[in-house]
Amino acid sequence: MPYILRLITVAFVAVFAENTIFARAMGTSTLIIVSRSRKNILGFGVCVSYITSVTGVLSFFIDKYILGGENELSYIYRPFVYILTLGIVYVITLLCLWKFFYKTFGNIKKYVHISAFNCAVLGAMFLNSKYCTTLPEYFFHGLGIGLGFLFAVYMTAIVYDRLYSREAPYCFRGYPLLLIYIGILSMAFSGLINYQLTY
Amino acid sequence: MLNDQTKLRSTNEANPKMNNNFKSLVYNSAIKRNPILVSGMAVAPVVVLADTFMKSVSLVITFSLLTVFTLLVSSFVSQKIVYTVRIILYALIGALVYVPAAIFLNAVMPNEIVEMGVYFPLLIVNSFIISYSETAFFIENKGNMILDILFSVLGYDIVVLIFGFVREIISTGEFNGKIIAMPMIFSGFSETYGGFLLLGIFAALFRGIILLVQKIKP
Repeated sequence: MPYILRLITVAFVAVFAENTIFARAMGTSTLIIVSRSRKNILGFGVCVSYITSVTGVLSFFIDKYILGGENELSYIYRPFVYILTLGIVYVITLLCLWKFFYKTFGNIKKYVHISAFNCAVLGAMFLNSKYCTTLPEYFFHGLGIGLGFLFAVYMTAIVYDRLYSREAPYCFRGYPLLLIYIGILSMAFSGLINYQLTY
Repeated sequence: MLNDQTKLRSTNEANPKMNNNFKSLVYNSAIKRNPILVSGMAVAPVVVLADTFMKSVSLVITFSLLTVFTLLVSSFVSQKIVYTVRIILYALIGALVYVPAAIFLNAVMPNEIVEMGVYFPLLIVNSFIISYSETAFFIENKGNMILDILFSVLGYDIVVLIFGFVREIISTGEFNGKIIAMPMIFSGFSETYGGFLLLGIFAALFRGIILLVQKIKP
């Protein structure tokens, strides 16, 4: 029971307290690019959650059997191994979608590449290896980061019309307001944790 | 030297169209489509890391080194290769460029690299490389592409330096350890949320200035 509670806490912390956008700002540029087209915004969030979960599991095996934990030189080749893994997951996912869900493939192919290659996904792999030790922890932390991103994307989607409204002053309309809005939410979320995050 | 200048001036006078093209390219890359204040690219490291001027300097050096070399090498990837594979190749090239860059930067500024933490390797997948390369840089001819990359990165760097400078002064009341007589200190601006808020204000101010300039000088 305590272990299940720990896993739930790991996921909860990744979604809310250490949210990938509001607390760490990872994937903000991706969120900004995606938020320009409102209709894809939720599908994109689901894509990111899927990729962070799958790569979360894979990064456990990479850390344990390929990179062999932290060592002096691992910081040099770790990004290459992670990106190669991301690339393989990305290609297999696209092939599966193309083969079995062609309509879905058509809808998401425009933005699926930035859902795989962005700071949130790569950052999830690095943070997994830093904070997690067991396979379930890797999975729940990866899933939590993805769901946290989906949550942030959803929070942006619901105010999209207001941020880009003609009623907003021209200088603030769109991107500047979006940043200020994320900043205000980030300030609220920072109240959940009473400590400085480590990178 | 004088001859060179005269030669350059005479080339420009003889070729005003070329001069205008260069000016418009610089204006578009660094100002009109400013990567951070207009296009919203590579926001995360600025918001999190650039809370002092010196940290901004470290970020500018690492970002410029990784991005420029990755984009230049990636531009040789054939456009005949399927888009899906091209994106993976760009990211992998970034990871390969990261290897000598990490060794070099760790030797030159080890403390700054440690301070950057996971945000240093994350620069490999910044939006310059993953999305902007395909939509802007690689559709131009090689000469324009190189200038566009250089001036876009320069536009980003200048904003990050100013941002770090302002953020340090308003959040600590100091600049590089020297106390500045500030009537009030807003320490929250050194946090992540403060970074978002200040960047939003910067983006709005920048748009206002551009608008004002356009009105004065149409």
